[in-house]
Amino acid sequence: MNPDTRLKDPLSLRVTPWISFIGFFVVWQLLIDTGIVPRILLASPAEVGQLFIDKLTNPDPDGAVLLTHTMVSLLEAVLGYVLSLVIGIPLGLLMGWFVVAEGLARPPFEMIRPIPPVAWIPLAIFWFGIGLTGKVFIIWACGVVPCVINAYTGVRMTSPTLIQMARTYGASDWQIFTKICVPSALPMVFGGLQIALALAWTTLVAAELIAANEGLGYLITMGRRLLRPDMIVLGMIMVGLTGWIIGNIIDRIERRLTAGLERGGAAT
Amino acid sequence: MTGPPAREVKVEVVGLTKKFGDLLVLNDVNFSVAKGEFLAIVGPTGCGKTTFLNLLSKLIPASEGQILIDGSEADPKTHNLAFVFQEPSSLPWLTVSQNVEFGMLIKGVPPGERERRLRSILDIVGLADCANLFPNQISASMEQRVAVSRAFATNPDLLLMDEPYGQLDVKLRFYLEDELLKLWRELGATVIFVTHNIEEAIYVAERILVLTNKPTSVKAEIHVDLPRPRSFIDEAFIDIRRQVTDLIRWW
Repeated sequence: MNPDTRLKDPLSLRVTPWISFIGFFVVWQLLIDTGIVPRILLASPAEVGQLFIDKLTNPDPDGAVLLTHTMVSLLEAVLGYVLSLVIGIPLGLLMGWFVVAEGLARPPFEMIRPIPPVAWIPLAIFWFGIGLTGKVFIIWACGVVPCVINAYTGVRMTSPTLIQMARTYGASDWQIFTKICVPSALPMVFGGLQIALALAWTTLVAAELIAANEGLGYLITMGRRLLRPDMIVLGMIMVGLTGWIIGNIIDRIERRLTAGLERGGAAT
Repeated sequence: MTGPPAREVKVEVVGLTKKFGDLLVLNDVNFSVAKGEFLAIVGPTGCGKTTFLNLLSKLIPASEGQILIDGSEADPKTHNLAFVFQEPSSLPWLTVSQNVEFGMLIKGVPPGERERRLRSILDIVGLADCANLFPNQISASMEQRVAVSRAFATNPDLLLMDEPYGQLDVKLRFYLEDELLKLWRELGATVIFVTHNIEEAIYVAERILVLTNKPTSVKAEIHVDLPRPRSFIDEAFIDIRRQVTDLIRWW
């Protein structure tokens, strides 16, 4: 966290990441060009780049342009994700502080928790078909678990001194919950958001691989069916890129909301 | 009986007893605190000082006995209590001034009055320059001053302090004790100050209660009638120190 503890060498710090980044693509291209890896198994970065530009406007052969695939996946992910935050975080926070909430919500939650999210896919197809609703449901089912657990743990980890302090000032249970427990749980909650995001994104691609007619996962599946490694790789790259962008946005929001907690721990 | 001149009684502790199961921690503690008095309580480590304070602040219920503030049973919801803990207790997500305001916010002090008290206290303790810093950007001693300021800002009926400066070095302690006395004089709070440091107790208090080992009761009461600012090498100061030390020699 503290920049002073790092060796100061701006030049090499600026240059080395680019060397490994460019090097990765050069080696990849060379492996294909020299025939060490046959073209039928893997596309070269140049081909993927070409396909990327082509797919910006051309819906063939999978039926939609790249932007449509990305937006479909993004919409499914964002809807499911937001639903899991809206339900999971308040639930976890309440469970952490109010005994009644914990008593009521814990048993069903503990029953559902160990089921891997992908196991919901068949039922979701039965219930909702292969459209948007089913995907949103699956993403919600997997995103809600880390939200609840982290919010709950965050509240439970609230310093007893702070709770006592508020109590001696005459704060009510609700005031202690909103003014002490919730803010103090925020870093854990945001940790949960990141975990939920990673889970949601992985599960979404899995769901799209199995049942979809649009979306990045579908693009990958079509690549497999049509024996087009360039489509597969393009789909993979888009999945990674989009996930990375969402992760960064959450990171930024977190830093703004937890200003006092984020500055490298307590001074001694 | 050479008591202090008759003052209005603010806090009255009657037969306070606390048992944890069969373990008797506090045994029939009786004393009273006058309005605006600065009372120090000294006792051996592990004698139940924290239990004692937790009882006074109603964090835990007493087994027997009563704590009366202005004649009625003490209650954090109706009485204005404040507690300064030994460990840092500022809220890390609030700035210094938001932290100082926190107690007033819970007490429902109106915004204008809150602002006025905040300014005046930050001025007294010299924290005005750090008003917008977060607790992890200031030193431990400043953090403790934030906690003390937060307590005084609520104009408490009773201010309880649990070795607030126990973790600070000697030089800082002198400085902060002077600052505490200044706040106490200017804002006129009733203070119960718990410490195991005898000199600290004599330096700040008008009266000292010496506690016994567990099960705790009040062993003796000593009035400190020394002019302020007090000096550690003053004849009378050393006299009182000897007196208190004799009382607790078996620690």
